[in-house]
Amino acid sequence: MTTTPAPSLVDVRAIDKSFALKGGGSYLALQGIDLEIRKGEFISLIGHSGCGKSTLLNMIAGLDLPTEGTVLLDGEAIKRPGPDKMVVFQNYSLLPWLSVRENIALAVDEVMGKIGSRERDAVVQEHIDMVGLGPAAAKLPLQLSGGMRQRVAIARALAIRPKLLLLDEPFGALDALTRGNLQEKLMQICNEHELTAVMVTHDVDEAVLLSDRIVMLTNGPGSKIGGILEVDIPRPRARLEVVHHPSYYSLRSEIIYFLNRQKRVKQWRARPHAVVARHGLEKVNLDLGFLPLAASAPLAVAEAHGLFTKHGLDEVSLIRETSWRGIVDGLVDGTLDASLMPAGMPTWMTAGGHGGPPLPIVTPLTLSRNGNGITLGRRLAEQGVRTVEDYRAYLKSHEREPHTMGIVHEASMHNLLLRYWLAANGIDPDKDVHLQALPPAQMLADLKDGSIDGYCVGAPWLDRAIRDGHGIAVAGDLAIWPGHPGKVLGLREDWAIAYPNTNIALTKALLEACRYCADPAHWAELSELLSDRRYLGIKPEMIRFSEASADVDRGGPESEGAVPHHLFFGEGLNRPSRTEHLWMMTQMARWAEIPLPRNWVEILERVCQVGVFSTAARELGLDAISYQRQGIELFDGLPFNADDPIGYLNAQTIKRDFSIAEIPLAPPRRA
Amino acid sequence: MVPTSPRRPGVASNPLGWLTRSSGTWLPPLLGTGGFLLLWQILSSAGVIALPAPSSLFTEERTRTLILYPFYDRGGLDKGLFWQTMASLSRVAQGYTLAALVGIAVGITIGLKPTINRAFDPLFQFLRMVAPLAWVPIALVLFQKNQPAAIFVIFITAIWPILINTAEGVRQIPQDYRNVALVLQMSSRRFFTKVLIPSALPYIFTGLRISIGLAWLAIIAAEIVMPGTLGIGFFIWDAYQQNYVGEIVLGVIWIGAIGLVLDRLMAWLQTRISPGQ
Repeated sequence: MTTTPAPSLVDVRAIDKSFALKGGGSYLALQGIDLEIRKGEFISLIGHSGCGKSTLLNMIAGLDLPTEGTVLLDGEAIKRPGPDKMVVFQNYSLLPWLSVRENIALAVDEVMGKIGSRERDAVVQEHIDMVGLGPAAAKLPLQLSGGMRQRVAIARALAIRPKLLLLDEPFGALDALTRGNLQEKLMQICNEHELTAVMVTHDVDEAVLLSDRIVMLTNGPGSKIGGILEVDIPRPRARLEVVHHPSYYSLRSEIIYFLNRQKRVKQWRARPHAVVARHGLEKVNLDLGFLPLAASAPLAVAEAHGLFTKHGLDEVSLIRETSWRGIVDGLVDGTLDASLMPAGMPTWMTAGGHGGPPLPIVTPLTLSRNGNGITLGRRLAEQGVRTVEDYRAYLKSHEREPHTMGIVHEASMHNLLLRYWLAANGIDPDKDVHLQALPPAQMLADLKDGSIDGYCVGAPWLDRAIRDGHGIAVAGDLAIWPGHPGKVLGLREDWAIAYPNTNIALTKALLEACRYCADPAHWAELSELLSDRRYLGIKPEMIRFSEASADVDRGGPESEGAVPHHLFFGEGLNRPSRTEHLWMMTQMARWAEIPLPRNWVEILERVCQVGVFSTAARELGLDAISYQRQGIELFDGLPFNADDPIGYLNAQTIKRDFSIAEIPLAPPRRA
Repeated sequence: MVPTSPRRPGVASNPLGWLTRSSGTWLPPLLGTGGFLLLWQILSSAGVIALPAPSSLFTEERTRTLILYPFYDRGGLDKGLFWQTMASLSRVAQGYTLAALVGIAVGITIGLKPTINRAFDPLFQFLRMVAPLAWVPIALVLFQKNQPAAIFVIFITAIWPILINTAEGVRQIPQDYRNVALVLQMSSRRFFTKVLIPSALPYIFTGLRISIGLAWLAIIAAEIVMPGTLGIGFFIWDAYQQNYVGEIVLGVIWIGAIGLVLDRLMAWLQTRISPGQ
């Protein structure tokens, strides 16, 4: 018996399910599933084919029994199927030799045998009318369309008044229009009768529209619940209104991200992953992650010009992700060997900012600097917003409207620079505006339709909006922090310890590629190369590089200065800088994204692999670039003292209540 | 079924026009059968084969009488073809009905219980392979009398397709229907009448239709070796003993025709009982 205040109707407890295989052995379909379903809730199970979502449904239905664990309905273990947990099957499962009325009547007779024939007929008729099948009541299922058949199946299920309605991809085989109508019908019936329902689906929109909670299952073998999303869209819901609810797209993209991630893991598992050691390197088959950005140029060049191979890395594949979150997950689950990442990400993950246990990530190389800027939408420009002072005034006068600005990731320089810039100008980045992480490619669309005020992002997404006339540049990185670190090469510490020579070879290949990217003579070729669909897949004229020049005003949309000026290579540019990483940690602590690590010296020591960089540079004969950069000074002139990060934080006026904590890191060890 | 030509709307009522347009369906079988008979006629007229020509069935006295007077009864075994056929058919009816009842019952049982199926399947597969003629001596030893022995031979020949198809039909009840029954916790009686029988019916009928042909084949075999029985099988055997070759040919044609009629009858029954499946 459950003693919780709001008793759950269904309680799935620690379920495992395995199937015996023909050739002996067994296949573990589901592992460790825990799920409570409250009365009146509508739950969707979503996942790729073969993830065991139908198996889970069948176990709730009692059609299948778990190998381990129990499923409770009203506190009693489910041992066999029964009419109290009625199933609506994917292929309708109507008896073709019985008419619509007889099919429903059969269920009613069977379950409510004691009621009189008049009452029975009334129940049958009521449910035929409920799904609007009055005129077709005497027809055989074969004479009906798919949508009508599914309506009969739903009517049959509802007619016997189940405690729990289970739907197995109920609308999967229907055309879009019929599906939409039936979804609305089902929603209406569920609302009116306060039904508790569990639905298996692979349709993301259907799940968001119908559910109170969406349970996402990982791929088998051993599928688990990968996440549960609460859908906070109020009921009653109408299809056309739901898509305008602020949560709709974030829920949708959350599910799509999850499904894509599962697909990537599946593809990764399908390939051979034995470590290939060759040429004195511990591993030459690498999966390197990147995002479609101009800053990915070094990776593309290293691949296209054979620099990986030159340094013995024969089997490098570049894996394009759509969001930084995919990179984080790829490093956490080991599907990526190393990756391009925002400069703040190594310390952020090392401090556990990604939500899991702290995962030490190291960086031997800074790949790019600059290339970022802050863009405001045309809607604001038309109201006279040109500068940050204008924007502050605008926010004051439009206090009631939501103000959202786009960032790519909380650990990226875009976020830290944007927040710093806003705060230094008297705008609280959490209270006065709302910063939302969006995939770079989506920001432009959001800026166009006005759902965000502006964004801080890297090329080519930065200048595209300006050239297309959808936004104006209010501040370039030259105006905030010239020469700030942009992207770094990041990899797991345990990986670096297991493959030290590979680490150096990779650093050498990319450092050489950085040198190539820095030469203005190569920029036209870079644009051409990056426009390939393997990398960015946009027109070459959209991807531009230019030299940094202090006298260019990056304020005006027409100016050359609107073109981002990446720094890929040069004195002190590529060496990982402990001071810079410390600054980034102070900023992430300032906005309460991570606690300020009390053991920051240890973290910086481990994250910045200066030794690897120096070895790589020396072996390439590039000793000159090895010296350390001096000092950090941003546009507001507040000095950063690397010996006193806490003092620096306290000197900032706008900040969150940051905490200082020891980050418990395991001692360095091999993967 | 015959499409009307949109250019000549009046033609549908003209029987001659219908014949012309449907000639594709009736002309080839007519030409094939006619050609075969013609070839036979020529070959036997030329003396290439010893069989009497088809035309001799009408020209010869004995066969003409048999064709023209199927209902004559001179007592004993000297009866018209109608009576001979009825005697054979009544045996088939008895044996076949028995086979259908036992076959469907056993088929459903083994279809529902995999264990029983595994226990008896090798035996069934083995017995199925024994030719009808081989059962005749066993049947005679078993029953000592012609009539029950003949019925037994029919039964044992006809039962296998019914049994095996019924079992398969029961096994092939879609999991969906079984799940519906499970979820609704249907009583076994209702499951039997509302799900099992309707679902397996097409299979059962396929078995019944194959079996009726087999039963008819078996009766001829059985009667041939059971002297002194009234029936079309012994009729042929008798004609052979007395060297009436024309009668043999007539008997064979008669058997084929009856078999065809029985098969069509079952097909028609099938469309009546389980339409659209």
